[in-house]
Amino acid sequence: MSTARTVERTVERVISPAEFSGPLTLDCDVVVVGSGAGGATAAAVLAEAGLNVICLEEGAFHRTSDYSADIPEMFGRVMRNGGATAIMGRAPIPYLEGRCVGGSTVINGGMCWRTPEAVLDRWVSERGLGDLSARRLEPLFEEVERTIHARYQDAGSEGDNNDVFHRGATRLGWKLSKNKRNQIHCVGSNDCVTGCPSGAKQSAITTWLPRLWAQGGVVYTHCKVDKILTQRGRAIGVEGKIVDDPAGGAPRRFTVRARAVVLSGGAIQTPLLLLRNRLGQPCGQVGRHFTIHPNVKVAARFDHDVDTVRGAHQAWQCVEFDHKGILLAPGLVPLAFQSVGFNDFGARLAKRMREHHRYATGGILVDDHASGRIRLLPLGVPLVQYDVTQADQAAFHQGVGSLAELYFAAGALEVVTPFHGHPTLKSADDIRAMQRAAPRVEDTEYFTAHLMGTCRMDSQDKRGVIDPEGQLWDVPGLYVSDASALPGTIGVNPQVTIMAIALHIAQRLGERLSKRGAARVA
Amino acid sequence: MPTFEFRGYTRTIARAVVDTMVPRWPDYEPDITDQVLRRVEQTVSRQPLAVQTLVTAGLWGLEFGGPAMGVGLMPLTRLDREARDARLTAIAHHPIPTVRRSVLLYQTLVNLCAYSMPEIEAFLGAHRRDWREDRRRFRDALLVLDEGRPLPPVPAALADPAIVEPARYLEVGFRPRREAEAPGNAPPDAPTEIVTPKPKSKPRAPRKART
Repeated sequence: MSTARTVERTVERVISPAEFSGPLTLDCDVVVVGSGAGGATAAAVLAEAGLNVICLEEGAFHRTSDYSADIPEMFGRVMRNGGATAIMGRAPIPYLEGRCVGGSTVINGGMCWRTPEAVLDRWVSERGLGDLSARRLEPLFEEVERTIHARYQDAGSEGDNNDVFHRGATRLGWKLSKNKRNQIHCVGSNDCVTGCPSGAKQSAITTWLPRLWAQGGVVYTHCKVDKILTQRGRAIGVEGKIVDDPAGGAPRRFTVRARAVVLSGGAIQTPLLLLRNRLGQPCGQVGRHFTIHPNVKVAARFDHDVDTVRGAHQAWQCVEFDHKGILLAPGLVPLAFQSVGFNDFGARLAKRMREHHRYATGGILVDDHASGRIRLLPLGVPLVQYDVTQADQAAFHQGVGSLAELYFAAGALEVVTPFHGHPTLKSADDIRAMQRAAPRVEDTEYFTAHLMGTCRMDSQDKRGVIDPEGQLWDVPGLYVSDASALPGTIGVNPQVTIMAIALHIAQRLGERLSKRGAARVA
Repeated sequence: MPTFEFRGYTRTIARAVVDTMVPRWPDYEPDITDQVLRRVEQTVSRQPLAVQTLVTAGLWGLEFGGPAMGVGLMPLTRLDREARDARLTAIAHHPIPTVRRSVLLYQTLVNLCAYSMPEIEAFLGAHRRDWREDRRRFRDALLVLDEGRPLPPVPAALADPAIVEPARYLEVGFRPRREAEAPGNAPPDAPTEIVTPKPKSKPRAPRKART
C-alpha cells in the first residue's frame, strides 16, 4: 500500500519542446491526445498493459510549487483562453476547460460521485451498453476511487461555508450527502479552481500519470493535434503543431505514428478535432447531444462572520430534490470569484465586498434535458451552442428558492440570486414572488464546468459516434476516451464516471493490442 | 506568450471603463486603474483573435452606443466618473439582455483582476496568500505524521482526530504533532518547520484607509 509521500515522489516523465530542436517524429503503440481525466486514465492503463504510450498535451506542465496565488495569471496558465470561454445561446454560459498536464482534474472541485445506478440502467436499456451496467462498472469505480483517493474530508477541514449549509439543511430536515473528494489531507486552502496550492488534490498528475511514467510512458507538452492520420480508413497517428513554444523561433510541427489513437481532449475539443478531420461523419452525431449540467450561484448574507477564506470548496451536497434533478451545494470560492457573483461593479460592489466575510456561497446544479451542439463554422471557427430549456429553467426557479430557504433556515438575512430583476430575496414571500415571476433564461447568469456527451457511446452505429469499446464506428484504430464519450447527462460531478469509462475503454484496447502484438511475435 | 494592448482611442475608452469599475471605498481609494487595465490586457491576450476583436468593438459600443441604447448622448469618455458609473449601470440594467451583457463582460474581467490583487485582498482582510502558505506547512506536518503509516482504505478520512483536533484544523499557525514531538520533546531532526502561531486572521473589519 502506498503512502502519501511515495505517491508524490514519482519521477515525472514530461518532455517540453524546449528540450528538443526541430520537428518531432515519434512512433509508439498508442498515442493519447489529452492528459486529463479520460486521457491520463487511458494512458496509464494502456502502459500497464505493456504498450508503448505517448500522451500529447496542448498545455504546459505545472507542479504544485509553480502554482501562483495570482488568479488571472493561473487562469492563463492552466485554462483554455485564460478561462474566458463561453457557450453561446439565449444566455451565454461561461465555462472552464483545463489546458495543462492533468487537464480539468487540476482545476476541478474534486468531487467524486459514481454514476447513479438509474443513469447506468438507462444506458443499458436505451443505448444497449451492457458493459456500462452498475455490476460491471463496480470494480472500475473501485479502482478509480482507490487511485484518486476519493475520501471524506479530514474532520474540521470543512469550514464555515460548509457548516452554514449543513446547518440550514439539517434544520429543514433535508437529506444531505457527504462528499468524497480526491484528496490526501485537503487542508481547506480554498483555491481548488486555480490548482491546489497545498498538493492535497489528487489530480491526474499525482495519480494516473505516475502510473504511466512508471511504465516508461511519456507526456509531451505544448503539442496541439490538428490532424488525424489515416491509411485505408484506419487511424495510424496524429500530426500537429507546437504551441506557445518555450523555445521560441520558427513554428514547429510534430508527427506521432501509432497502432491506435485515443482522443481525450474533452467534450469540446474532441468533436472539433473530428469535425476538422471529417471523421465520424456517417452517424451525423459528432458534436451533438452536448449536455452541461448548468448551474447558478447564490450568496447568502448573515449577521455574523462566515469565513470566506478558510475551508473546503464543497463538503456536502443536499440531495433532497434529487428526484427532480436538482442538486444544492455549498461552494466556497476565493474573494475574486465571489466578487463576480454579485453582478455589480465599482463603489456599490466594493461596499458589498467589504462584508464579504458575512456571505456564504452556494449553487444549484440541474440535471439538464437540453442538448446543445459543437459546430465548426466557415474558416474553422468553433461554435459551442446550448440553450437552457423551460423545464430546466423551472428547476432553477425551484432550486434557487430552495437554496434561499435553506440559507434562511440557517439564519441568513438576504440571499443574492442569479436572476436579473430579482437580485435579492429577503423572505419566504420574496421567494414565492420570484418563483411566480419565473425569470427568463435570458435574465439568468449561469455557469458550468461539466461538459459531456458530444461523441457519445452507443451500441448502434446510427445513434452514436463510438461503439461500446470506445472505437469510432467508421474509423478503426481511433478511440474516444473522455467526457464526450458519455452516453448522456449523469446528474453528478462527472470525473469518476469519465475515469471509469476511460478505464473500461483502455482495458479493452489494451487487451486487443496486446493480443495482436503477441500474435505478431508468435 | 502573445501580447495584447488596447491602443490609441480604444485604450482611452478601456481606461475609462476600468476606472469606473475598479473598487473604491470612502476611506480607501486604491490607485489601481492602470494595473487592472494591464491585467485585463494580459487576460485578453490569451483569447482568440475573434474574442479580442469583440472586446475591442464592445468598448466602442459603450463609448458611442449611448443614444442607440437610450442611456445618454455623450460619449462615455467625455463623462466624469460618477456619470460614467450611472451610464454603465443603466446599461447593466437594460431590458435587452444582449445590451446588459456588454457591460457584464468588462465587469467580470475587472472584478476578477481587481479583487485578486494582494492590496485589495489585504484591505478586505482576506489574507489568502498567507493562508495558502500556512496550509502548505500544515499539510506538510500532517504528511510527516503519515510517514510509514499505510493509508486507510478509501473513503476513510485521513487525519486522526486524536492528533488533529477538528476544532483547531483551520486555525492559523496550528501544527499537529505526535505526543513525543510536543514542545520540549521534539527530535533534533524534525523535518517540518514549526512556525510561530500568528494571530488568528479571520477576516474582520478592514484596515484604516491609507493616507
